[in-house]
Amino acid sequence: MKAVLQIALGIIAAIGGFVDIGDLVFNSQAGAVFGYELMWAVPIGVLGIGLYAEMCGRVAAVTKRPVFDVIRMRMGLTTGLIVLVASLFVNLLTVAAEIGGVGLLLQLFFDAPFTLFALLGALALATIIWFVPFEGLERLFGYAGLALFVFVAAALYLGPDWHSVARGFVPEAKSSTLYWYFVVGLVAAALMPYEVYFYSSGAVEERWGPGDLRVNRLNAVIGYGIGGLLSLGIMVSAAQLFAPAGVSPDHLGTVPLLAQVPFGETGLLLALLGMLFAIGGAAVDASFAGAYSIAQFAGWEWGKYRRASGAPRFTLAWLLFFALGLIVLMTGIDPLDLTEYSVVLSVVALPLTYLPVLLIARDRTFMGDHVNGAIAGSLGWVYFVVLVVVAVVAIPLLLATNAGAG
Amino acid sequence: MVACGCALLAGCGPLDRAELGRGVESLSALAAEGQLLADGVVQDRTRSTYTRVHAGTLAGDAAHEAQKLADATVEVGADRERDEAVAVAQRLDDALGELETFPSGERTAADVHRALTKIADDLERLAGRIKDGS
Repeated sequence: MKAVLQIALGIIAAIGGFVDIGDLVFNSQAGAVFGYELMWAVPIGVLGIGLYAEMCGRVAAVTKRPVFDVIRMRMGLTTGLIVLVASLFVNLLTVAAEIGGVGLLLQLFFDAPFTLFALLGALALATIIWFVPFEGLERLFGYAGLALFVFVAAALYLGPDWHSVARGFVPEAKSSTLYWYFVVGLVAAALMPYEVYFYSSGAVEERWGPGDLRVNRLNAVIGYGIGGLLSLGIMVSAAQLFAPAGVSPDHLGTVPLLAQVPFGETGLLLALLGMLFAIGGAAVDASFAGAYSIAQFAGWEWGKYRRASGAPRFTLAWLLFFALGLIVLMTGIDPLDLTEYSVVLSVVALPLTYLPVLLIARDRTFMGDHVNGAIAGSLGWVYFVVLVVVAVVAIPLLLATNAGAG
Repeated sequence: MVACGCALLAGCGPLDRAELGRGVESLSALAAEGQLLADGVVQDRTRSTYTRVHAGTLAGDAAHEAQKLADATVEVGADRERDEAVAVAQRLDDALGELETFPSGERTAADVHRALTKIADDLERLAGRIKDGS
């Protein structure tokens, strides 16, 4: 039981990368448009984020330095500042999109104006964060978000063609730009930098030390594994339900149909609740990631465990993220457009985020006996090349496919 | 920058048959989704607030697509298909609007489901004609 409670950090961090507002729609679109063909991109993302999250958690546990601290130390002030500005911008877009997602879901529950519910959703999230300790937050949003397993159940219930499912895990070289846009989107979403800013700072919040490296591995493997499984559940059920019917899931409200059709009202409620907590959790991830980054860069006191009086500027920073996110949302921008652009734009920050982690994780002067082994080190460099390729092709693909509209 | 890029890629001339076909495809997708939504009401396996809000969203999309097609200049010879697409989009908007107004009425939902099935058939025929004409 203790081990189960200890993996909440990995689950809440993974939710941001695999089943936030954008991913919920993106995964269902992938299944609706390409059937099972894009499933192979999910394990690539899971392995990459699991690998780097384990490194970030290990670095945080051994050196007490979270990712942004490492970026500034290794890359210098100027590069650190570029990464900070890029990540703050992406975090702001993400917070705005997730608040919008919470508003949309509350609207689907209670049928009242979206603007009112977005405002109430942001206030509710800020109140919960204020009063609930860090461990409580990760457990509340992480475990309640697991109601999304209803999509995995739906995928199994709908009886997929297992031969096609198995074939979906084999990459295909296609000439369609839309296909590659989805591949890059799925891999990039899994590796969103804010997940590791949150995860490594969370490790410091939980006061991990070298004795917690097993817990770190469990979080990285099980937490992100669950995120990937949920992502696949949505894709497979969309391949079975939406693809043959010709449904094009362009709205958040379309996704719960994947659970409502097989399981009726119970399925619908589980899907809506899971989505509400997953998207709420992603809003917590992104707002905290932004506040952690700025506090760690500027050398402020930071951490939820310090309470507001112990880290006033950090507290003000995450509150500001909610306020600014709400302002962005009130301009009338579609939350789904926001998250799509934030995923694609965040890829620019990917190499600059993960390179310093890779460098410090292999540095014996910092890590002592806990440096990367041969497998983690080699895979880390392979994934670094993947990140650079993703960073180079993401924006051209966004433009060539009209942001996935074809 | 992104918006400018998209605008450049989309072009600004009259709507050609391929673009018209894509508009019809969007309408077909809305009709298919509407059928799934209505089916939940017919079988009493959904929630009325969800149905109302989501049917309203889909109806809004259909109305927007109708306006977009109606406002567009189309290439020579495609006027008739465009006008037909606009008319079907309006029927789609009406059917989904009916579901929005009566989100728990099983008989109304059954009527809406039938209407949407007919609309989907009409759109399929229209898509075929647009393709054949190109």
